[in-house]
Amino acid sequence: MKLTYLKASAALAGILVPLAASGVTWAQDAVNLRMTIWSANEAHLAMFNEIAAGFKETHPNVTVTFEPIPFENYTTTLTTQIAGGNPPDLAWILETTAADFVNSGALAPLTDAFAATEGYDLEDVTEQATALWTRDGQLYAYPFSTSPFAIFVNNDLVTAAGATAPAELIANGEWTWENAFATAKAVADGGQADGLIVRDFNYQTWQNLASIWNGWGASPWSEDGKTCAFTDAPMVEALTRIHEAIFAEGAMPGPGENVDFFAGNAAMTITQISRASLLPKDDPFDWDLVPLPEGPIGAYAVVGQAGVGAFANRPNTQVAVEFLAYMTNPENSQKLAQFFPPARASLLNADTLAATNPLLSAEQLETVVIAGISTGTVLPGHTNFAQIQQTVRSGLDAMWVPDADVPAVLQSVCDSVGPLLAR
Amino acid sequence: MSLATEKETRPFWTIARRDAAAGYLFIAPQLIGIVIFVLIPLGLVFWYSLHEWNVLANSFNYVGAANYQMLLADPSLPQVLTASAIFSAGLVVLNLSLALLLAVLLDQKLKGIVVFRTLFFSPVVVSLVAWTIVWSFLLQNNGGINGMLSAFGIEGPNWLRTPTTAMISVVVVQVFKNVGLNMILFLAALQGVPKELYEAARVDGAGAFKQFRRITLPLISPTILLTSIITIVGSLQVFAQIAVLTQGGPGMSTTVLVYYLYQQAFQFHFFGYGSTLSILLFVIVAVLTFAQWQLRKRVVFYEN
Amino acid sequence: MKTDLSPRIKVALYGLMCVLLIPFVFPTWWMITSSVKPISDIFAFPPDLWPRRFDFSTYAQVFELQPFARQYWNSAYIAAIVTAGTMIVSSMAGYAFARIKFPFSNAIFMVVLLGLLIPSEVTIVPLFQMFLGWGMINTHWPLILVPIFGAPSVFATFVMRQFFIALPTELEEAARVDGLGRFKIFWIIALPLAKPALGAVAIFTFLHSWNLYLEPIVFLSSTQMFTLPQALTQFTDAYGGAMWNIQLAAATMTAIPVLLVFIVAQKQFVEGLAHTGLKG
Repeated sequence: MKLTYLKASAALAGILVPLAASGVTWAQDAVNLRMTIWSANEAHLAMFNEIAAGFKETHPNVTVTFEPIPFENYTTTLTTQIAGGNPPDLAWILETTAADFVNSGALAPLTDAFAATEGYDLEDVTEQATALWTRDGQLYAYPFSTSPFAIFVNNDLVTAAGATAPAELIANGEWTWENAFATAKAVADGGQADGLIVRDFNYQTWQNLASIWNGWGASPWSEDGKTCAFTDAPMVEALTRIHEAIFAEGAMPGPGENVDFFAGNAAMTITQISRASLLPKDDPFDWDLVPLPEGPIGAYAVVGQAGVGAFANRPNTQVAVEFLAYMTNPENSQKLAQFFPPARASLLNADTLAATNPLLSAEQLETVVIAGISTGTVLPGHTNFAQIQQTVRSGLDAMWVPDADVPAVLQSVCDSVGPLLAR
Repeated sequence: MSLATEKETRPFWTIARRDAAAGYLFIAPQLIGIVIFVLIPLGLVFWYSLHEWNVLANSFNYVGAANYQMLLADPSLPQVLTASAIFSAGLVVLNLSLALLLAVLLDQKLKGIVVFRTLFFSPVVVSLVAWTIVWSFLLQNNGGINGMLSAFGIEGPNWLRTPTTAMISVVVVQVFKNVGLNMILFLAALQGVPKELYEAARVDGAGAFKQFRRITLPLISPTILLTSIITIVGSLQVFAQIAVLTQGGPGMSTTVLVYYLYQQAFQFHFFGYGSTLSILLFVIVAVLTFAQWQLRKRVVFYEN
Repeated sequence: MKTDLSPRIKVALYGLMCVLLIPFVFPTWWMITSSVKPISDIFAFPPDLWPRRFDFSTYAQVFELQPFARQYWNSAYIAAIVTAGTMIVSSMAGYAFARIKFPFSNAIFMVVLLGLLIPSEVTIVPLFQMFLGWGMINTHWPLILVPIFGAPSVFATFVMRQFFIALPTELEEAARVDGLGRFKIFWIIALPLAKPALGAVAIFTFLHSWNLYLEPIVFLSSTQMFTLPQALTQFTDAYGGAMWNIQLAAATMTAIPVLLVFIVAQKQFVEGLAHTGLKG
């Protein structure tokens, strides 16, 4: 019953949407594809419309509409559309919901279609980048944005505090977390500014701490995702060290403190390189962009991703997959690279990236962007991530107080999240 | 035939019948709207609540009362219901008393009172997003409020990160945003109180406080009832502010029922269980409103 | 309570009100001043009471980045239709529930009151399915039909019922003796007397429609169709970060006209409410 309903409404939507949205002519085979995105940026839309126009040259009956949904409500709205029986044909997918979408069977497999597309060169897309979006050897969404985490530094603040600048530490081969925390502490001790901020963490989005704890080789759960690893030694050590940096050393601002690196209020911030656009233009400070420091396990890199997939079992699934192949072919990937760091090895060179990232030097592109994308692991993900995220967040809250018993808190986190992981 | 005999004795369209027909015609648009846009969707929600519905996996299986058993066994539910009760009770008490205080102040004959009315009302029309962001700013540990307190030598708490103060904060932010509506309702009620009554009381030697307690409060009691119903019902529907300010934390201290429902249905994709929580929310609101409605007969001064 | 107050009490009252005003006014003040700050100054800490630097281009950008005028029109005309429609539906229903005796009227009123009790999140999925079935997704119909006939209008019906209950019946009785039908009594006698209550209903309804957020996000998908609260969230930079200054400029433009209307209408509004059955 459910399926017939879906089919009926799908057919209905296929007829109505073109009429409502663009008044396409009544050609028998007119196809309108809807892609939901969370950017409403004019430049993005212009680029996507350009790509859609290019596709129309070879597929004159196909129109693609891009529907921006506010980021905060993205998954809610998408879910409502799916639940209501009116999913889009294509959708951007957040890395945190990647596992849900990839494992659900809601998305169409892409590998065979991409491989069959002339000039696509699927080999060019790096394996690390596609891992999160692959199940049983099939790609279910294409990672159109693979953005490495790095550290932005405010050299003015570091120098004023008499601390060693990260660039110097790197030159001396001493760019480790211990020295990074020391630099952060030195600035914070001066009282004029804060030390190191993990951007967007806010003591809620704990998965962003992976940009630090991966240096300890820590991971929130086992490889197969079935068992909780918050109580494993690397995680306990990493979080104990982070707790110390926050509460004992004051190297990182505490919970409930609002500090913005880009307003010049902190020495360093861990964030994705795309945030370079936030650097102040009117009243600039001397900034630098450096890779993540070495942890106890040595050098490592972390990337954040966003994917785009096509919904399976829709009347236009095949056309949608074709469009996706077109949108992410080598030529269009270069266009996408203007805004979204690419996952294609052939585009990962300083020349290509320099054209689209004018703020960054060749060296920064080489050491941070290219090295980061080629070697980086993605942020932790899991099926049913939203519930797991929420459960862990709620448990970790007990840790963000000065006298917390870190191992005990982590034990309670595992107690509550363990059953969810085992499902 | 029976119709014909009836016609002979008295006309079919008696005044009562004509009135009844008019009554049904008058309420028809509203009633049909309620059936289509409230009752049928509510029935569907109940229908969903009997299913295990994972939206992404497109599974929709009848599971009978399983979701309701899950509800009874849900270890988070007691916490969530407690948080909801504290939130709603705090909100209603604070909102109504502040609204009444403001209404009494704004009822005075003062120059420029219109300006004050407008300013106290202004948060009602300000975008919720902007409103919540500013407050999340002010409530930071190093934020404006603690800055102000430190000027008086007081070390303020970490408002949004301590369970008790987090709850206080979400209540207060919500009250400031919406108290203007209740304030206006109270102001209107105060202006409807006949002035002669006060004069008579003054002649009898009653002071301002006594006048307020003996005359004002009883006479505006219907408004108090109405605003308290609206406010309680409204308080059970607040979640955007909680999402921005605390995300239901720390721990689960500010996870109220509607936020929990929202998480289960829209963030965790458990539509079946989310629907079950919706039914629970609906039952709670209905019982509360019914209780208040019954209470009016005893507490409210008069209604006709 | 209206007596002439001594100057000392007046000063005390002004002082008290000014202090109470701070938490009401500061966020609005911050919204307005931040709308003309460069984006890097907005989150400066502590917040600036007066912009360090001015950037008025934000207001122009609001219109460049989005079809903002169109979205303004969408919000305005939807709110206007919803307000007018609700006034008609609710005054009729409220009058009938208060004045006309018909079988089951109390039971039906209780059923209607259910609408007051249901958060919109609860019914959004079934409503989406229904409107999809009627081909009304990405149209303004759901935002018009549901508020006029559905749950949001119940509050208005409730207010109107309370008003009509408190209205003296003599005029209507006289009209009945003169042989006027129910509809004429309602239209010629009762409704004109109900102006104050209608005014209150109008303001509440308008505000509700103007601030509606969840429903537009769920039902509308093209920027041309968006309403204001939804449009506010759409000002983002090339990397999806919010362009706060432009967003706040748009938010300011959304709030100011409503405040102006309130200043003009507040006296009628308050006095109107004072004469409804909501009073003591």
